Amino acid sequence: MAAIDINQEVFTKEVEQGTGMVLVDFWAPWCIHCRRIAPVLDQVAQKYEGRVPVLKVNIDEEPELARKYEIKRIPTLTVFRAGEALGSIEEPDSKAKIEALIEEYL
Amino acid sequence: MEQIYDVMIVGGGPGGYTAAMYCARAGLHTVVLEKLSAGGQAALTEWIDNYPGFEEGIEGFTLGDKMRLGAERFGAETLYAEVTALSLEDRIKTAQTSEGPVKARAVILATGANPRTLNLPEEELLLGRGVHYCATCDGMFYKGKTVVVVGGGNSAAAEALVLSRIAKKVIVVHRRDHLRATKIYHEPLMKAENVEFRWNSTVEELLHDTKLFGVTLKDVNTGERTQVDCDGLFVSIGRNPNTELVQGVVTLDRGYVVADESTRTNIAGVFAVGDVRTKALRQVATAVGDGATASHYVEEYLAEH
Repeated sequence: MAAIDINQEVFTKEVEQGTGMVLVDFWAPWCIHCRRIAPVLDQVAQKYEGRVPVLKVNIDEEPELARKYEIKRIPTLTVFRAGEALGSIEEPDSKAKIEALIEEYL
Repeated sequence: MEQIYDVMIVGGGPGGYTAAMYCARAGLHTVVLEKLSAGGQAALTEWIDNYPGFEEGIEGFTLGDKMRLGAERFGAETLYAEVTALSLEDRIKTAQTSEGPVKARAVILATGANPRTLNLPEEELLLGRGVHYCATCDGMFYKGKTVVVVGGGNSAAAEALVLSRIAKKVIVVHRRDHLRATKIYHEPLMKAENVEFRWNSTVEELLHDTKLFGVTLKDVNTGERTQVDCDGLFVSIGRNPNTELVQGVVTLDRGYVVADESTRTNIAGVFAVGDVRTKALRQVATAVGDGATASHYVEEYLAEH
């Protein structure tokens, strides 16, 4: 399964009120680096299927979420568990770094 | 049996994937090791107007991905893996990667380059908190704000132009008294009403609380210091080649892999293409030329060894 686009409503339900671990990609359509990591995120989603859902939040459409989580650079990837932001990385330059972030909290 | 490729290519930018296409078409068992996704620095370039064959220009990301698809069409493989170490001196060469070891009889270094930093204290701390290296990536955060662009080459001029369409005001800081950029950039930049220039100046200090709010400039002739208020700083002062992996093994010149037009390095069976190689002009068009040439000498090498 690929990474899934979500809005504020789904974010509240799946991330903030969820119980499991999720990886959230804060991105925007104009962000070139976000485009570069998009295919990689789909591969990561596939690799962790059934264990860690990979969700994508478009900060142009959900500016409130970007403000709330103080997103200053995109892409920012944040690991959440039970609504709590555990850790994040900005503009990762390799698939290995994204997987390392997940493994750290898995 | 352990798999040994004929050739492994480290880096999936234009040079790497062109080499991959030519090697695959020559019947060589070819793998590209790419840590993120195809295209290299070109993929971070919004629009590429100077690569022939695309009369309207083409998105950098799209061009990079097309090159990957072109190479894969002829059987080149891509392994999405970060290389952590290279062992190049033996006949069979090994890359240690995040996905395990990869072996090949020949190696093409296509690791490219990354933006050079100002080397100021707290520059890294302020990364994304006012300090940036890519206007097409991060420029949109500065809609209606004031930004400083450091540099005077083609990249700096292109960055300043992109920002002039987004920001309220763009201040170009350059240590010389004129732009080094090619003429095609001068006119639109000089015409843009919201672009001003601070010639003969360098950035000496980053002024900040939790994020950047200004810079201190120094006049290189008089030594005079002035403060400039700004919300963002875009650094565009050239590149550093990605050669940490081969330091001490492959001969380097100012960080770049020494190789002539044949792309051969000092190590038998090791080649270098694209921005990482010593050359006069670093462009997609020249990287692509390197890639094609490398395949010729790789074939020649493999036939002899």
